[in-house]
Amino acid sequence: MEQYNTFKQEDNIIIHTRLLDAPRDLVWEVWTNPAHIKEWWGPNGFSLTTKSMTVEPGQTWDFIMHGMGRDWDNVIEYVAVKKPSLLSYKHSGAKSEEYNFIVSVLFEEMEGKTLLTMKSVFKSKAIIDELNRKVNAIEGGKQTLNRLTDYVKTLVEL
Amino acid sequence: MTPTRDVFQAIADPTRRQIIGMLAGKSLNVNAIAKEFDITRQAVSLHVQFLNDCGLITIRQQGRERYCEAQFEKLNEVTDWVNQYRKYWDNQLDSLESYLAKIQKSKP
Repeated sequence: MEQYNTFKQEDNIIIHTRLLDAPRDLVWEVWTNPAHIKEWWGPNGFSLTTKSMTVEPGQTWDFIMHGMGRDWDNVIEYVAVKKPSLLSYKHSGAKSEEYNFIVSVLFEEMEGKTLLTMKSVFKSKAIIDELNRKVNAIEGGKQTLNRLTDYVKTLVEL
Repeated sequence: MTPTRDVFQAIADPTRRQIIGMLAGKSLNVNAIAKEFDITRQAVSLHVQFLNDCGLITIRQQGRERYCEAQFEKLNEVTDWVNQYRKYWDNQLDSLESYLAKIQKSKP
């Protein structure tokens, strides 16, 4: 199964794949049902509260992550929803529209298992390069403790 | 012990993050660290061992005390954004995978 667990960057797209040992309908369910998603979404040690979730194009998943002693508001806007094969969403939390990116999650059946492909599409490769430079600058320049906090923050805001 | 644990696992836990934070300013012995937490000294000791296994801290014997010192160069493993993103989703998908295994097992 390992050969299906891949990662690559192609220009402005970051692609993750993972073969999951579960039927596609169930994998779809754990991505789109608040009771399931809270069990696996978010950094370790964080908990999650869903304020609302409407899995339809143009609708949102509005949720709070609890961790590191505070609450982190998050909103995801669904762009395309084709049960049970495609879920695509946009993060609207970024400070600037430029940094927003769309994640498309493809669910494919493969001999009773599910091949998950996540494509994160950025406005341009330049945006990814800029994010890399910014993170490098943060890593290089700040106090360790701030770096840690920033790091965890980047995780929460993904 | 072979360092199969990485920095990302180390900082995934809130208690360990707090310990790293405490060691950012000064080296401390395990007792001094344990005093700051409501959990047992033994539990704190395990977290300290974990951080040691990841190479994030070193433990130095001084007389009867064991002093912990931060080794923050290790945090530079957290390199660029794409790498962070990759690691983050690797962890997320691990978490998804084990959750799927769990709910399928519990079914009759």
